[in-house]
This record gives sequence, structure tokens and C-alpha cells, in this order.
Amino acid sequence: MSEAISMNTMTKERYGRRLTSSIAMTVVLVTFSMLFASFFLGFTVFRITSDVWPPMGFERIDLFLPTLSTVIIMMSSFTMWKFDSLFFSEGKEKKIWFFATIFLGFSFMASQVLLWTDLHSKGIYVQDGIFPSIIYSFTWVHAAHVIVAWMALFYLLPTLKVGVMIPSYENRVINVGKFWHFLGIVWLIMYVTLFLI
Amino acid sequence: MAFYEQHIHDAPTTFLSKYIFSYDHKVIGKQFLWYGILFLGIGGIMALMIRWTLAFPGQAFPILGNFLFPATGGVVPADTYAMLFTMHGTIMIFYAITPILIGCFGNYLIPLMIGARDMAFPLLNMLSFHLAALSGVLLLAGLFTPLGAAAGGWTSYPTLSTLIGSPGVGQTLWTLAIFVLGVSSTMGAINYITTIITLRAPGMGYFDMPLSIWGLGLTAVLNAIFLPVLGAGCLLLVFDRVFGTAFFLAGAAATSGTGDPILFQHVFWIFGHPEVYILILPAWGIVSDLLSFFSRKPAFGAKATALSMTTITILSTVVYGHHMYTTQMSPLLTQSFMTLTMTISIPSAIFFANWLGTLWKGSIRFHSPMLFSLGVVFVFGLGGLTGLYLATVTTDLYLHDTYFVVGHFHYTMAASVLLGGFAATYFWMPKMFGTMMNEFWAKVHFWITILGLNGIFMGMMIVGYAGMHRRLYNPFIYEFAQRMIDINTFVTWSAITMGLAQFIFVFNFVHAVFFKKEKASANPWEVGTLEWTIPSPAPHYNFKDIPVVKCGPHEYGNPALTGDVDFQFQTEELAKS
Ligand code: HEM
Ligand SMILES: [Cu+2]
Repeated sequence: MSEAISMNTMTKERYGRRLTSSIAMTVVLVTFSMLFASFFLGFTVFRITSDVWPPMGFERIDLFLPTLSTVIIMMSSFTMWKFDSLFFSEGKEKKIWFFATIFLGFSFMASQVLLWTDLHSKGIYVQDGIFPSIIYSFTWVHAAHVIVAWMALFYLLPTLKVGVMIPSYENRVINVGKFWHFLGIVWLIMYVTLFLI
Repeated sequence: MAFYEQHIHDAPTTFLSKYIFSYDHKVIGKQFLWYGILFLGIGGIMALMIRWTLAFPGQAFPILGNFLFPATGGVVPADTYAMLFTMHGTIMIFYAITPILIGCFGNYLIPLMIGARDMAFPLLNMLSFHLAALSGVLLLAGLFTPLGAAAGGWTSYPTLSTLIGSPGVGQTLWTLAIFVLGVSSTMGAINYITTIITLRAPGMGYFDMPLSIWGLGLTAVLNAIFLPVLGAGCLLLVFDRVFGTAFFLAGAAATSGTGDPILFQHVFWIFGHPEVYILILPAWGIVSDLLSFFSRKPAFGAKATALSMTTITILSTVVYGHHMYTTQMSPLLTQSFMTLTMTISIPSAIFFANWLGTLWKGSIRFHSPMLFSLGVVFVFGLGGLTGLYLATVTTDLYLHDTYFVVGHFHYTMAASVLLGGFAATYFWMPKMFGTMMNEFWAKVHFWITILGLNGIFMGMMIVGYAGMHRRLYNPFIYEFAQRMIDINTFVTWSAITMGLAQFIFVFNFVHAVFFKKEKASANPWEVGTLEWTIPSPAPHYNFKDIPVVKCGPHEYGNPALTGDVDFQFQTEELAKS
């Protein structure tokens, strides 16, 4: 966000609204962090109380699809950031970054679905014990959030118009952006803990 | 402070926009009040059924019994008993006390006491109430499912709450209901925190806020941080029940590295201990204010009170293990949790001493809100002290899961929090509905309630100390417990008395809201906080002009004051001689 441009025209009201929205979003992110943190707490308990991991003769999940998901979601974070920073400018470029984000978000979900079908085809179902329970449940909950965030992107469509009133949309863009990056971080932690180590 | 000024919106005109889908924090507050009172009634009847069973085992529950339990001729059946105490606990904690103290008074008081026109996010606020209503429907729906509502206790420990322990839909609905309620409360918390930070009237620093706002704000912080932890537990429990995951399934562990029922207890109490403070903090804040208002003295050590509340909030996050001493934690852990729990005594003592300091040499006005506040001081003293017995590992190993625990938490939650809620209702009634409740009946209500509840909860602690277990349908099959039938009967009669006394409140309340002609004045209690500077009931935009705050909320008996008033409004310059 180019602070210089924005602060020039910053009225008290606009500053207040931005502050309000950023405090609220902070609370939201703390909330979601605690949700996922509790999951990881559970994971840690299972992981350290189990002699072998993965338990019960499971094999490690093939890294290909999770890695693909990771690459996609990192790229989408990048495109979102580009869109974010171009939001104050006019022109075509920000549209490209925006639709790239939409597309990458969709691809991430697709890669998750592939992961689930792949596990199914290997005969690994969610009922089969704690290991698949963790893999499926955590990715479900994360994916559900990605879907919500993805739909929230469409809520930013009006900002693509020419001559958009920046003050009336800036908080949307900032907040959706933060949420998007947040989900990327959560996925990264999941990738490292559930799949890598 | 007041980072921007909210606009005055036109008053809503249709019935729906005024009373059902209102954005107005005051209306939403009242919605939560009615909601809470309704559930208080439902939970109360359940309590009476539990008590009836314990005092008169095998006898039909009067009046409602034949209608509710036709198969047993009106006697509460054993499986229904488990359902009753589960639903009673859940309803009282999440659907009665929470909506009244946090939903109602949080919404009502925060904007008014900090001089704002509304919450920061009115739409979110409205959604929060409607989600809470949906959650209430989900919870009650459990009662009408074939196997009945949840019966695993308000803590819903697995394996009682997994498909093995409770196969019916009731438990699933319970879990969903709690999850939805969690989302609703989180929305509330977002609003409260943001509003308190950004919309305080110009001139109002954090220490110029009434202590009620401190309590409500800290509660919101705890809610935002710890409700998601319960939410995670609920989600995993639903997955276990619906999709067949194995998070909390014991036994599956036989094949190594699988489910763990104790994990749920950790998750539950990481949330659950802060939750008990979530409930008590608003009551503490309100009582701290009221004690000062009615003693006509500045709140003694108001800053220290606020800081102790903050300290307790922080400490409350690291003591949850004291609920789990009997789960075979390592002794190192139990001892650490014991020490941490004991540490809470220090800020609690400061806090309590400040209450007494406020009363000391005050010119006390014994109006009904004051009586209820003094009641809180008394019962919370008892509740807090009994907490120390439970915090000590060696005594807790014996007392855990006896009626002593039930007595302890009813003193702290049912007694203190409820009395705090009544104090607040009597006190803000004129501002909310424009009329005062009848003082005489309020006092009658108070005295019967306080006598009744001491009879109940003191009795519970006595039988608990003597070893009577909680959650037993008929403890008297054990010989040693048979001698306790008399005390149990006494407790039950106290409960019936206290239950009946609540009708006094309901009649008084309904009469004042709907039938009373005589309007209250703008400031009937002669109090200086911002909400009393505007007419009663508060107009929909609250403040025509946003007030400018010049002094603290507890300016009483300042010798420099001239004229015949002994207090100042927060909008007035502090009188100096
Ligand atoms: C003042 C300091 C307090 C201490 C040291 C304390 C300590 C304890 C301990 C150790 C237990 C566990 C007993 C057991 O299960 O064996 C307990 C239970 C409980 N306490 Fe407190 N407590 C305190 C204040 C409060 C407050 C302020 C509230 C609520 C407003 C509260 C509500 C509860 C509840 C609901 C339970 C029982 C939960 C259950 O087992 O169903 N306590 N307390
Ligand atoms: Cu506790």
C-alpha cells in the first residue's frame, strides 16, 4: 500500500475507519490463529506420544501434490500483494494480478481435491485412524477458509472499475489481502508439519 | 479516542427494522436480555427437576412431571437426569448468563458509557444476535430428537460425547450449537474491542472509562482468544461423530498412536477456565462501579482495580490444569498449575480489598442495585475462598467431582454472576426502558434470592465435603449418603423458594417495561457517567453531540463541589477549591 499517496488525502474520518478496520481484522486473525493453533496442539500431542510416525503402518503422504499446493498458494500470495500495491493506480495491470489471484486460488482448491482423491484411490479414508483424520480434517478446515477467502475476492471486483473511489474500498482490499496471506502462512505451517517432517 | 464521529441515522420506522433486524446496539442489547431471561427460566426449571430428584428420589415431579415423563408416571428417569444436568449447565452458562451480562450489557453499555453513537460494526452486531438465536434453536432441538438431548455434562468429555457414549443426534446438535454460539460471541468480541479502542469520546483515556467497560473489554479479549480453542475442539468432535475421524476415540489407541479422549479435556479447559472469567469480569466491573455510585465515594484504587482485573485476565490463561488434577498429569505439571492458580489470589485480594475500601466510610444508599452488588461481594468471597481448596492438589483429589465443586462454581458463577446481572438490570432499567422497577419488590426479590442461594450452595458444599458425588441419579443407594437426604431436602426447598422468588422479578420487570405509566427521570440514581447525561430511555442516536470527557467516572463527595449535588458528570471539569 503506497502510504504516501494515501496519507495526503487522509481525512480524520478515513483514518478512523482504516484504524477501526485494521483493529477488527487483527482480532479476526488472532481468532483464526487460535483455531489453527489448537489443531496444531492436538497434532503435537499425537505426534509426540506416538512411537512411530506415521502410525499404524501408514506411509508418508507423497509430497508431490502438497508441494504443488504450496507453490500455488505462495504464488497467489505474491499476486495478491502485487494487486494490493497497485490498487491505488489506474490501469490494466492490477486487473491482471487480480485475476491471476482468482485463478491461483481456484488452482489451490483443485490441488487439494486432487490430494483427497489421490488418498482415496490409495485406500486411505478419513475413518482409518488418527493419521488420516489429521490430514483430512486439517486440510478440510483450511480449504473451507480458502473458499471463503476466494469468494471474498469477488467482493473486490468493484475496485477494478476506472475511477474507483479509493477510500470507500481500501479497507476491503487491505482486509481481504491480510486474510489471504494469513491462509498462505497457515498452509505453509501445515505443509512443514503434516507433510514434511 | 474518537478517531471519527459516527453519523446520526434516521430512526427505523417499521416493526421489523425496529425490533427484529435492528442495527441499534440498544435494541440488540434488549434482544439479548429477553433471550437470556427466557433461557434462565428454562434452565431454572431443569435445575428444579434435578434438585427434586435428589431430595425426593422416586417421586413424581410436581405439575410438569406427568406431562413430560408420562412413561414413568412423572418421575424423572435416570437417562433424562443426565440430560437435565447437561442441558441445565450448558443453558445457564452459555445461554442465560452470557447473553445477559455480555450480550445485553456489553451491547447496551459500551457505546453509551464511552460516549459513542453505536458499535463500530452495527451490521455485525445484528448478525451476532441472530446467530445466537439460531444456536439456541439448535440446542433446544436436541430435546426433541429420538434419543434426547446431549447427556455428557456441560464439559462434554469424550468418551461420553463420542458416538460410543451418546449415539443420538442430541450431542451433535449440542456441539454444533456451541460452535455457532462461539462464532456469534466472536463477532461480538470484534465489535467490543474495536469500539472501545476507537470510539471513546474525546478526552476519555482508558482510565477514565467506567470499570464496567474495563470488565467488558477484558471479557471480549478473552472471548476472542479462547472461544476459537473451544471451536476447534467442537469441530474435531463433530468430525469424530459425523465423519468417523478418531481424534477423541480411545481404544483405537490399541493399534498405536491414535485418538486421545484427554486431549479434549485440555482443549476444553484451555477455553473453560478463561470462560469462567469471561463471565465474572463484566460482573466484577459492574459491581465495582455500582459500589462506588451507591457509596457516594470515588472507587477506591480504581486504577489498581482495573490493573488487577487485567492481571487476573492474563493469569487466567495459564491455570486451566487445575481442572484436570485427576487425569494422571505428571506431578510436576499439577504442582505448576497449583502454584499458578494460587498466584491469582494476589490480584484477587487487591481487588477485593478495593471493594471494601470503596465501602469504607461511604454514605451508602441501600437501593436494590446496591443490595445486589453487596450480595456479589459476599458470595464471591465465599466462592473465591473455596476455589483455594480446589486449587490445592491434595484437597482437590478428594473434592474433585463432589458437590463441593458444584457448590464452588455455583457461588462464583450462579450466585455472583447472576446477582451482578440483577444489579445491572435494576440499575440500568430506567435508561433501557424509561421506567424504574418497583423498589419494594426488588428488595423482597433480593432477600429471598440471597437467602435461597446460600441455602442451596452452602448445602451443596456441605454434602460435597461429606463425599457426595455429583452427577449421580440416586446417590442414596450408598449407605453413607443416606444420612444426607435431609440436607438435600433442605437444599431443594431452598431452590424451590429461590425459584419462586424469580417470579417476583419477572412480574416487576414486565410490569415496568409494558405497564408502568410513570416515566423515569434522566438521572434517577444521581450518577455521573455519560449515559446519565442523556434522556431516559436513551434516544436511538444516543448523543446528539458527542460529549467531551473532562473527569473520571467516580467523582463523588468532592468537598469543592458547590450546590446540593454530591457528584459530577464526566463532562464537567473536575471541581477544585
Ligand atoms: C478465585 C479463584 C478461583 C480458584 C482458585 C478456582 C479454582 C477452581 C478449581 C481448582 C476447580 C476445579 C475443581 C475440580 O474439578 O476438582 C474449579 C472449578 C470450577 N470453577 Fe473455580 N476457581 C476460582 C474462581 C472461579 C470463578 C471466578 C469462576 C466463575 C465465574 C469459577 C468457576 C468454576 C467452575 C465452573 C468450575 C467447575 C467446572 C466443572 O467441573 O464443571 N471459579 N475452580
Ligand atoms: Cu478454573
